[in-house]
Amino acid sequence: MNYSLNDEQKILKDTARSFFTEELKSSLVREVEEDEQGYSRKLWESIAEFGWMGTIIPEEFGGFEATFFELSLILEEMGYAGYAGPFFSTVVLGALTILTAGTPEQKRSVLEEVSLGKRLMTLALEETGDGPSACEIATTAKKVADGFLLNGCKRFVPFAHVADTIICAARTGDGGKNGEEGISLFLVDRRSQGVSIEVLNTIARDKQCDVVFNNVLVSGDSLLGEAGEGWQLLQGVLRVASVAKCAEMVGGARKVLEMVVEYAKTRKQFGQPIGSFQAIQHHCANMLTCLDSSALLTFYASKRIGQGLSYEKEAAMCKAWVSDSYRKLTALGHQVMGGVGFIDESDLQIYFRRAKAAEQALGDATYHREIVAQLMGL
Amino acid sequence: MEIELNSRESAILEEVRRFLKSEVTPELLAESHHLEYIYGGEEGRKFVRKFAANGWLTPCWPEEYGGLNSSEMLMYAIRNEMAYARVPIHFAGAHMAGPSILRYGNDDLKKNYLLRLASGEIEFALGYSEPAAGSDLMGLEMRAADKGDHLIVNGQKTFNTHAHVADYHWLAVRTNLEGPKHKGISILIVDLKSPGITIRPMITMAGTRTNEVFYDDVVVPRANLVGEINSGFKYIMAALDFERMFPFGHYKKFYEDLVAYLKTVTRNGMPLTKDPLVRQKLAQLEIELEIIHHLYFQLAHMLDNGKIPNYQASMEKNFLTDFEQRLANTALEILGARGQLREGANGAILDGLPEWLYRWTVIETIYGGTAEIQRNIMAQRGLGLPRA
Repeated sequence: MNYSLNDEQKILKDTARSFFTEELKSSLVREVEEDEQGYSRKLWESIAEFGWMGTIIPEEFGGFEATFFELSLILEEMGYAGYAGPFFSTVVLGALTILTAGTPEQKRSVLEEVSLGKRLMTLALEETGDGPSACEIATTAKKVADGFLLNGCKRFVPFAHVADTIICAARTGDGGKNGEEGISLFLVDRRSQGVSIEVLNTIARDKQCDVVFNNVLVSGDSLLGEAGEGWQLLQGVLRVASVAKCAEMVGGARKVLEMVVEYAKTRKQFGQPIGSFQAIQHHCANMLTCLDSSALLTFYASKRIGQGLSYEKEAAMCKAWVSDSYRKLTALGHQVMGGVGFIDESDLQIYFRRAKAAEQALGDATYHREIVAQLMGL
Repeated sequence: MEIELNSRESAILEEVRRFLKSEVTPELLAESHHLEYIYGGEEGRKFVRKFAANGWLTPCWPEEYGGLNSSEMLMYAIRNEMAYARVPIHFAGAHMAGPSILRYGNDDLKKNYLLRLASGEIEFALGYSEPAAGSDLMGLEMRAADKGDHLIVNGQKTFNTHAHVADYHWLAVRTNLEGPKHKGISILIVDLKSPGITIRPMITMAGTRTNEVFYDDVVVPRANLVGEINSGFKYIMAALDFERMFPFGHYKKFYEDLVAYLKTVTRNGMPLTKDPLVRQKLAQLEIELEIIHHLYFQLAHMLDNGKIPNYQASMEKNFLTDFEQRLANTALEILGARGQLREGANGAILDGLPEWLYRWTVIETIYGGTAEIQRNIMAQRGLGLPRA
């Protein structure tokens, strides 16, 4: 395989790197953690000016029509810079699902606004937090005269509190209460009557929400894709989203390693830089292995997705490995930085907390290894 | 998994696969295993000469020296196929000494050795380690006294694995006692049948053989000096980079055989591969193999693009050899008590390979530079951390 970027991809990556270096300083990363909205509106608008929300959206809907691989490069830079905000939920969980399942009319009405940064989105899927699973979906959508009535509780829905549109997975069929059959997807206006949202207090202080649907009436044309086929539609989206999450994690891992190596080169103990001690060197070498192995799997999976090749197994392998590796890498970083790494003023602790949140998002390593086992025919 | 090759190279790789399928005999497999996959045994020589006649042993060498002018990618792919077929893969001559002669040797050395290496006619043994110089090769003490048209060598080497089957020694000796240590080392090519050489076996816990080699006033013609006198350390470092490229096919094959076997095993009335813990372990190994694939072929990609894989070679070696231990241990964990049965024992699984690998894979993390030395290289060359 060719492990290099082409010139255009290099420019995109460099542009994103310098933009975030300039616009997302460590102070803003911290402000965002404290902010109720969980993101900087100003930064959001600047990102929208670059058109990055429309990276994978077709030109006819105002996007760039680039491939997922290009999007993964931007996500990696967001992870590197410590970006927190509704980009992932809007572009990956939202727009990608619409691209996969939406009618031309739904695409037109939603994607153009997403491309312009004028519509925020998210996906309400999980109910227990044990990883995406059809079995746990108990939320119902009952057919009524003028549409569907949604009832149920969703957990761990990112940025639901600011999303304009929530894609909600609910059961329309009564045949398969526990299975993958009978699940449908709906586009729900967050401001609809009966929707209540509470932001969860999480390890990463990211904005994940409980969303309760209490007799929420949605129209018939808010059904996304065919009724009853929601789970099948989501499968691909979730796999791609897992790789997208890995791209963010690889960026974060790269930043942590740089931060830690810089510290090891300058911090002196016993009269020498601590980076000259073998124990420290071995920690750093192990971190480098965590990073490179994660980057290779993410690169390969992203590339396959971008090229339209099969990616199910590659995506599952990727999320399983990167989930564990990023956590290990940040933990090793703490061993190198010592006390300096765990106080509030340190950026390392921010990445450490986020590594755990990212590990849990979209299924952890155990969850994805089981998928690998299934795809191996075990 | 795709390997990026042009159509000519893909065709060559296909031919190699066909050849391996048809030419690998049980006798060769047994010898190869017994010799821990080094080259030099009788069966191996027969096989490799036929194999190498196609240029497959050294495909990325120039045609005039017995290569195919091909990419490193093809070379890596072929070596990995050989590993998968469990035929000799550790060629000290073709893969370590040869590239160094190609780079640093004079015309006479090239003429005398390269074509014979490329055709599998001769094999080298690396002569680096000494009782007091393992990972710290700068500390080597074996002396070669310069007598003008020849050198006189005295001293002892250890862990010289190929020495009992090879034709020549790729010998690191001290030729200058003055000045910095790394500027007093030279490389000599020594005929292992020279008078004054004694080779003694050292048997490893895996039952494989390595050697200690004693030199007693051994005369080496000056024509057998590689490159410049006292510049040997530079050549060793370069050759070590070649050595650290570890193919993974052997382990992939074992893993595949293990999975296939486990699918047939039932425990507590349930197929073992339906046990969630077993599934987790096998999936984890599957993922790690995928990473090794990338780490390995990334090295070829870098070389083909004119980049020097300095820390990446160490990372690949390290990741693979750590993986081997996890693979062997995981196999024994899943197999339980039956996993300990040796080749030939009643009920031995996969010809006793699991327990053999458990003993062997420890050795792999030491050969070619210990895992700790590899980590130092990654830290210093890859991350720019200072030396102590």
